[in-house]
Amino acid sequence: MKPPPFEYFSPTSVDECLTLLAEHGEDAKLLAGGQSLVPLMNLRLAAPEVLIDLNGVDELARIDRDDGELVIGAMTRHRDVASSELVREACPLLAEAAALIGYPAIRNRGTMGGSLSHADPAAELPCVTTTLDAEMVVVGPGGRRSIPARDFFAGHFTTVLEPSELLLEVRFPAHGGGPGWSFHEFSRKSGDFALVAVAVQLPGDGASAGLAIGVGGVGDRPWRADAAEGLLAGGQRGDELLQQAADAVGAQAREHGEGHADNDYRGHVAATLARRAFATALERTGR
Amino acid sequence: MSETQAETQAATQQPKLLGARVTRVEDPRFLTGNGRYVDDIALPGMLHVAFVRSTMAHADITGVNVEAAASHPGVHAVVTGAEMAGEAKPITCDSLVPTWQATEYPALAHERVRFVGEAVAAVVADDRYIAEDASELVRVEYSAREPVASIEAAIRDGAPRLHDSWEDNFFVKRHFNGGDVEGAMAEADGVLELDLVSHRHSGIPLECRGCIADYNRGDNTLTLWTSTQIPHLVRTGLADVLEMPENSIRVIAPEVGGGYGIKGHLFPEEIAVAVLARKLGRAVKWIEDRREHLLACIHAREHHHRLQVAYKQDGTVTGIKALLYVDCGAYSVYPWTSTMDTGMALGILPGPYRIRNYECEAYSVTTNKCPLGPYRGVARPAACFSIERAMDEVAHAVGLDPFEVRRRNLVRDDEFPYESVTGLIYDSGSFHEALEKVCRDGDLEGMRRLQEEARAEGRYLGIGFSCYTEQTAHTTNEFIKRGVPIIFGYDTAIVRMDPSGTVLVHVSTHSHGQGHETTYAQVVADQLGIPLESVKVAFGDTAATPYGHGTFASRSAVLAGGASLRAAQKVAEMLVRFAAEHLEADPGDIELAQGKAFVRGSASRGVEIADLARWAYHRPEKLPDGMEPVLEAVSSYDADPGTGTFANAAHLVLVEVDPETGGVKLLRYAVTEDCGRMINPLIVDGQVHGGVAQGIGGALLEEFVYDENGQLLTTTFLDYLLPGATDIPKIEVTHLETLSPFTLEGIKGMGEGGAIGPGPAVASAVADALSPFGHVFVNELPLTPERVRKFVQQATGNAA
Repeated sequence: MKPPPFEYFSPTSVDECLTLLAEHGEDAKLLAGGQSLVPLMNLRLAAPEVLIDLNGVDELARIDRDDGELVIGAMTRHRDVASSELVREACPLLAEAAALIGYPAIRNRGTMGGSLSHADPAAELPCVTTTLDAEMVVVGPGGRRSIPARDFFAGHFTTVLEPSELLLEVRFPAHGGGPGWSFHEFSRKSGDFALVAVAVQLPGDGASAGLAIGVGGVGDRPWRADAAEGLLAGGQRGDELLQQAADAVGAQAREHGEGHADNDYRGHVAATLARRAFATALERTGR
Repeated sequence: MSETQAETQAATQQPKLLGARVTRVEDPRFLTGNGRYVDDIALPGMLHVAFVRSTMAHADITGVNVEAAASHPGVHAVVTGAEMAGEAKPITCDSLVPTWQATEYPALAHERVRFVGEAVAAVVADDRYIAEDASELVRVEYSAREPVASIEAAIRDGAPRLHDSWEDNFFVKRHFNGGDVEGAMAEADGVLELDLVSHRHSGIPLECRGCIADYNRGDNTLTLWTSTQIPHLVRTGLADVLEMPENSIRVIAPEVGGGYGIKGHLFPEEIAVAVLARKLGRAVKWIEDRREHLLACIHAREHHHRLQVAYKQDGTVTGIKALLYVDCGAYSVYPWTSTMDTGMALGILPGPYRIRNYECEAYSVTTNKCPLGPYRGVARPAACFSIERAMDEVAHAVGLDPFEVRRRNLVRDDEFPYESVTGLIYDSGSFHEALEKVCRDGDLEGMRRLQEEARAEGRYLGIGFSCYTEQTAHTTNEFIKRGVPIIFGYDTAIVRMDPSGTVLVHVSTHSHGQGHETTYAQVVADQLGIPLESVKVAFGDTAATPYGHGTFASRSAVLAGGASLRAAQKVAEMLVRFAAEHLEADPGDIELAQGKAFVRGSASRGVEIADLARWAYHRPEKLPDGMEPVLEAVSSYDADPGTGTFANAAHLVLVEVDPETGGVKLLRYAVTEDCGRMINPLIVDGQVHGGVAQGIGGALLEEFVYDENGQLLTTTFLDYLLPGATDIPKIEVTHLETLSPFTLEGIKGMGEGGAIGPGPAVASAVADALSPFGHVFVNELPLTPERVRKFVQQATGNAA
């Protein structure tokens, strides 16, 4: 479990990163917190010829509020996201999910941008960004572009990022998406990757703005539970309807997870977590 | 009381260290990062090895091209199985059981591979990075054979053979028949048929394996530093396969970061590294990485049991027929053979219960998987799972409380020593009292209240029990019975007092978490009347320690502890004789305490032990006539009659099951254990905690999953899950002390026990938690969420 040889660069600015990316392109990998890339290199499942270490690029680590948006720099550690007062106010769903990432040691090193670029379908942050319709701000040789989270993940451990591009920051709608929110995941042990995760923004009775239900851990990327969202879009929050919506999440999970031996099980868990997440979210609306 | 009298009393009443909760003397070293493990050792000019490992479960090797690897910069040698075969004999470890079929486990696979991860070639380079780079350049060509990746695949008609000379895929076929099983079945009020499965997992030490070999061409000596529990046996095994005189081999086991039985083997990699060092004339190091450890070290505990259990309406179990299969993987392991698990399971399956009619067929099966070896509890976790689950099922069948059914079947105190139906001698025990005590100390009544309250809220809590008795410190007679080629009959200690009066104890066992540096010192200090700080315990270096077998089978405290006690007694006799001469008193009146030898009843007539020591070495003219001027003694101890001493325990657990997700959470865990006299209750507690944690791992999380092609799917901790601190509840441990009539001070072994009870206790608790859905027989470990869901559905179906 030793990595193959690689060339190592330690830039201190985004411009420097872009120059290095332009030069090394497909041969290069960006090193953020190293919580996934380094084990993959040690297992020789990843063998980049060039490693561009982002840990010296201070401008990438920030948590800010900007015109109704919460802006989180790509090199912000999970621990800082989970413990930030600003995040908790502007985007409580994100704070709740970030606290569930791995273990303290992982949260101390792992970063927002690293987790999203790695695109593990069972990870918390891809699920949350998809649920909240966050915008991924990316910079490359042609300048900046913004990619909606729903378009960012392209499959198992794959994003639409070009080899010459760098994820700069993530912009979350800072209204928190309504007063009701909840992130429920089930993993085999505490700190482990979720078998299934369900993220919910659920406004209370009569409201529908900001309604969102996202699911992680099932399929090749996180997805939105459209059918369930449709059922709840009318603002009704009766128990029967909520159960129908939860069942719809389960049904959609079975479609996404097709081909997996444990598909039925995951579908059942997805429905269960959705039901529980709805209950928690509604409780938080003060219904 | 006069001043002299008071002094005398103080001197003669040195508190006994035996039995005291002494904090571990080795801990400061570990806690400050000053432990020295194999990987901390660097020798001048040392080279590093990476192994090329088989990617196929079953195949012929048709070619190995090493050209590109050998010419890679920084590479010193690339050695294939064919070359290795000329340098070292394969590992053979043959049972004396008549049905035995033998294997040859080569240091590097030669001609054929039999499991994924088997070492095929070795690359030696300046560092491990280069060695791994070059190992990717070795081209191994395979011609695939049909893999045999499960017990079912191995035993079916027409299954391909793993070993050409065999007549089937069984290492060994055992049969036992005692009492009158057919009669018991005929007269029973009911017979239950139960299938039980324990999946494959293993002990996962914090430190993986590792070794360094250094060969001296000048005098043909080989030194091997290796992370092992059994340095002397590794030396003997190496001498055999390398065909070197044993006095030219020195094995040193430095700090070992956990063993659990897994590191109690002679490994192919150790042989390969020794050969490479001998060939190159350079020190060679191999540090196993976690992937290698999970793929190719030692797996354990894969048992399939089928039981027929005859019972009476009053809950007594009158007979058992058992059919046992153990998946032993590709090769027989040294020094245990592949018979250990079937032998142990067959012998102990009736457990602490009075079952007089018992028939058992047991098969050790070979498959294209990593070899199976001993892991904390060896077969007893599976055997205990079977008998304990059977007790719960009988309770359900006759409508009695599981506690009551156990009570009606447990061997009673007045029956000890009790000869079990399989001929095991249970020397002493407290089977009833342990069960009653764990219910009191663990607050069974409180648990039942919580369960009721939770059910009213729609939550599913369950209570589970398990009872077991564990054979420990078994020696000559037991190992003869098992038919292993090496009879692990004794262990050994040298007690050596130096001129300053401090003592060095050299033992043949190895401590890697058990706290022997503390416990043996307690034993020796008591005998010599000196403070604990004056005694140092050393082990691991075959050049310094006396020959013995090492640390396994919960034997060290009894055997090496006993040997230390005996050797210390001999040195004490020397001190007493010397002191008597010096004090002009009768040796029978001399007492050793608080660093002094003095005449009993007269503290002022005494001499410092340190003075006696100094004189014994430097002032021989003071010695009594005929006394040799060295304060040193060696003793071995075998705990006659060698049938072992039986520790026992009862476990009680409260779990919460989430029937929707299948998640299981442990809320409370209580153990009452009885290991005879405790040398150090603090260390006993720690051993129980560690064992229970590992048992919980096997009950809920840990599983090696192979696909039908024999590919291991769980090769990192992402897939092979271990319990962490947050997964283990507080474990309440209480003690009973029923002395063994067979051992010095009545001590029994206890290192493994904690790991035996959790599987059945947790399974029993999960079944209990699901009882509102209906009755379900929880028969498979580990209880992954998906399996728990399956049991929820079964329970619901059973109720319908």
